[in-house]
Amino acid sequence: MNVLETIKTRRSARSFADKRLEPHIVEAIEEAILHSPSASNAQESHFVIVQDEVRIRHIKRFAQGLSGQPAAVVVLCSNHQEALARGGADSADTLRFINLGVAASAMMLTAQSLGASSCPVRSFHAPSIASILGLPVEVKPELLISLGYADKPPRSKTSKPPKEMISFERYGN
Amino acid sequence: MNAMETNLGAGDMRERLLDFAAYVLTSARALYREPQSYGPMRLADTLEKGLELLQAAGIRDETVEQAMAAVRETRPVAMTDPEGFAVALDRGIAVLVKATLGGKPEA
Repeated sequence: MNVLETIKTRRSARSFADKRLEPHIVEAIEEAILHSPSASNAQESHFVIVQDEVRIRHIKRFAQGLSGQPAAVVVLCSNHQEALARGGADSADTLRFINLGVAASAMMLTAQSLGASSCPVRSFHAPSIASILGLPVEVKPELLISLGYADKPPRSKTSKPPKEMISFERYGN
Repeated sequence: MNAMETNLGAGDMRERLLDFAAYVLTSARALYREPQSYGPMRLADTLEKGLELLQAAGIRDETVEQAMAAVRETRPVAMTDPEGFAVALDRGIAVLVKATLGGKPEA
């Protein structure tokens, strides 16, 4: 599957089959993380990959937006102090979140290209997730990605007309 | 309302109760910052999880199940079609009104 095909076929999955992720998919996601760029090469992000069933249940307990029973959850974290020290105020205020978005996209597309589904989740109680994972105080969870094998078709997608999303040369053209 | 037998032990029920309580409180906390349309969705999901918990404890009510039928059917588009979801909620509420006034659930 080429990149554009992967992008076009990826949809958020909210129901998963009771099946563990194949090891090569987890390894590929690790590679996707390690090869994702970061502004000023600050590398202030940290990623916790969770596959233990009990820990996933505990995460789900405090992540109301996490649907279904995923085979894995990746917790995308950011270190504000490290971003400030290595990337400056722009990284600390804004770019570290863009960095996480870029990495999230790389992970989800990697999973999709290998036959697994995903869903990004922001609806969770961050202090609870931090406690469950034993995160250092300066490392905050910012996004979850659930991973697994979708067992239901995705929801219908609604999109704005292309003209409302893309302009050429000047806004509105 | 039917009371059914259940094979769940006290430990399993406690875990399910913790799942439920955490879901409700976490949802409530998050709604301060989430889109307004998340509220109806979270409340419907809360009821669904509450019913699952009761069913695990051996309790099931056909009227409530009937009220939930339209809600369940429309739940996947709650975010993309909030007006449709509102109509489904109205249909579910109508079933409960009928039961409140003494009607019986349809077969």
